[in-house]
Amino acid sequence: MRRDVLLLVARQFWTSVFKSKAIYLLLGLTLILLFYAAFSGVSYHEQNHHRIEHQQQARESWEANPDKHPHRMAHFGTFAFRLKHPLSIFDFGVESFTGNAVFLEAHKQNVVNFSEASYSTSLIRFGELSMGMILQLILPLIVFFLGYAAIVADRENGTLKILLTQGATWKEVLYGRALGLFGLSCLFYLPFVFATVALLLMESYTADVWIRLLVILASYLLYLFIVSLLTIIISVGSKTSKNALVKLLGIWLLLVVVIPRTSQAVGSFLYPTPTKLEFRGAIEEEVIQFGDSHNANDPYYNFIRDSVLEVHGVQSINELPFNYPGFQMYVGEKISTEIYVRHHKELLDQYRRQNQLTKWLALVNPYLGVKGLSMALCGTDLETYASFQHQAEAYRYELAQAMNELQIKHIRANVTSSEGKVNVVDREEWKSFPDFTYEYPTVESTLGSELLALISILLWSVVALGMMNYWARNASAL
Amino acid sequence: MLEAVNLSKKYGQKDAVVDLNLKVEKGEVFCLLGQNGAGKTTTINLFLGLLDPTSGKALVGGLDVVENKVSTNQILAYIPEVVQLYGNLSGLENLEFFSKLAGQKIASDELSKLLLEAGLQEEHHKSKLSSYSKGMRQKVGIAIALSKQAQVIFMDEPTSGLDPKATDEFTNICKSLAKNGKSIFMATHDIFNAVNVGDRVGIMNEGRLIYSSHTENIDASEMQELYLKTI
Repeated sequence: MRRDVLLLVARQFWTSVFKSKAIYLLLGLTLILLFYAAFSGVSYHEQNHHRIEHQQQARESWEANPDKHPHRMAHFGTFAFRLKHPLSIFDFGVESFTGNAVFLEAHKQNVVNFSEASYSTSLIRFGELSMGMILQLILPLIVFFLGYAAIVADRENGTLKILLTQGATWKEVLYGRALGLFGLSCLFYLPFVFATVALLLMESYTADVWIRLLVILASYLLYLFIVSLLTIIISVGSKTSKNALVKLLGIWLLLVVVIPRTSQAVGSFLYPTPTKLEFRGAIEEEVIQFGDSHNANDPYYNFIRDSVLEVHGVQSINELPFNYPGFQMYVGEKISTEIYVRHHKELLDQYRRQNQLTKWLALVNPYLGVKGLSMALCGTDLETYASFQHQAEAYRYELAQAMNELQIKHIRANVTSSEGKVNVVDREEWKSFPDFTYEYPTVESTLGSELLALISILLWSVVALGMMNYWARNASAL
Repeated sequence: MLEAVNLSKKYGQKDAVVDLNLKVEKGEVFCLLGQNGAGKTTTINLFLGLLDPTSGKALVGGLDVVENKVSTNQILAYIPEVVQLYGNLSGLENLEFFSKLAGQKIASDELSKLLLEAGLQEEHHKSKLSSYSKGMRQKVGIAIALSKQAQVIFMDEPTSGLDPKATDEFTNICKSLAKNGKSIFMATHDIFNAVNVGDRVGIMNEGRLIYSSHTENIDASEMQELYLKTI
């Protein structure tokens, strides 16, 4: 391939496209969409300030408690607010459908509440317009529109024969046009890059965020490269321009609507998940079998009490050197948490099985690949949400057990009730328990869990290049 | 300059060109007449290297087209029935692009001269090609061939759809090209124009060259009679 011919063909494609008014209309519309999506992203991200504020208020409220019985503090509880990842301005992912605040208290794993979707109209189910979504769904349509006739129109009107007799090879024509189309798609893509970088620069973020952004931007670039090549491949393989356009629209529908929806439906059918009620019911049913840790005379805990009395060589819990009800609740918390964690893990595993089909399908559908990777790196996917749930539950458990330990250590042995202002612990203890802070999964672990998506994008790039080379050898100008 | 040696092309079981033998010398205009589907365009495509022959050889400048595609492409040019090119670009921009593609680096004023030489008036050089008539587009096609300094020009039904004045202009341009040493191979339905512009005329039917003669030996009405008899 001669570089000058390649660039000449690419430049001619550009010039030809820019002589048409349609390109300016498309660019204008894209910029309006970008503006809207960026604005949505920023206002979406602004919610973080409220969440930080609420988290601080919850903490102040926790610390403002007077001297109290620790078990009352365990039930006073606190809130964990899920902060949005800085990159969620770019891709909203499943954020709108997942809750963002959870009340943390002893013995009880509350659900994460207050999702955007629960306070919005059903329109949100069509998806909010994020920058990522425009790049994933709308930009391919624009590329298809700009490039569907790139080769086939020249064949239809005989210009291709002139191109080839003027000395250009098929490879130069195909790659030249692909380069021109990819260049055009980059022109549409660049404002998104600038907007995202500019919005991120408004606050200072860690290297992790910038590394994530770099991978995201590279993935979208490859995605557009694939879309551009695919457009040229369909154009060269079609008999008429109309045919090429219909094929490309069909491919778009298949990749963006049919395959993702079907894979989700099949996943849900193959791996059904319990309703919220069934899930809670199953946990409670199991927890009940292990008795009531609040009741010092609960038959289930009798064997524990008897063994503790035996070890300490005493007859009654009042003679123990520590507060036994606190100890019993410590054991009870451990048991109920293990049950919850197991059930929750099973539920998440079921969701993961459902999603697994979609993840594997990314190998045949680059849209699924880039979508999965984008959501994961923007911290708006199911796994990130699961990591929040995991960390919130771990914090809740630590909090409950820390209060139980305070009760064991500081409340007299014969005290079985937490009522009143006599059997209390100094309020300074509340401050010594650390506040909840959510740590996002590292970029390494995120990339590890999205390996299939990464492979998909790289594989599709290679496959598309292979198909281009195939057509360069086998295409006909007639 | 141009030679077909036992040239044959089959599409599956169907014969498109059968055992074609012909020569077109330097500065000669050869017009090939025939019905739709007679094999005229297939013959041109074989010479352009866009189709591989089933048997035989197509030679351009003494070189086998199949084995020397790059070299033969350098000395030939092609003008289709309708020169569409890129409607969004002007005639001058189209010419610039196609001449660069052929490896020619020609200054803008030189390109304008070529367009003038091909018969396109200067006021149209910078207008969008989409506003051109068919005849004006043909002239851009000729300018492309001129810019490439092609020795052999293949034309496929170049005068179909042209009005008499435009046809006459086109005929004169072809004659002038031939005078300057270009060999022209023209597939056409236009018997009168073929006899007028061609040095030799051939009739093709079902892939076979069934008649070939110098135009000085036959006039247009005789040719028409012969054509109607033979097909």
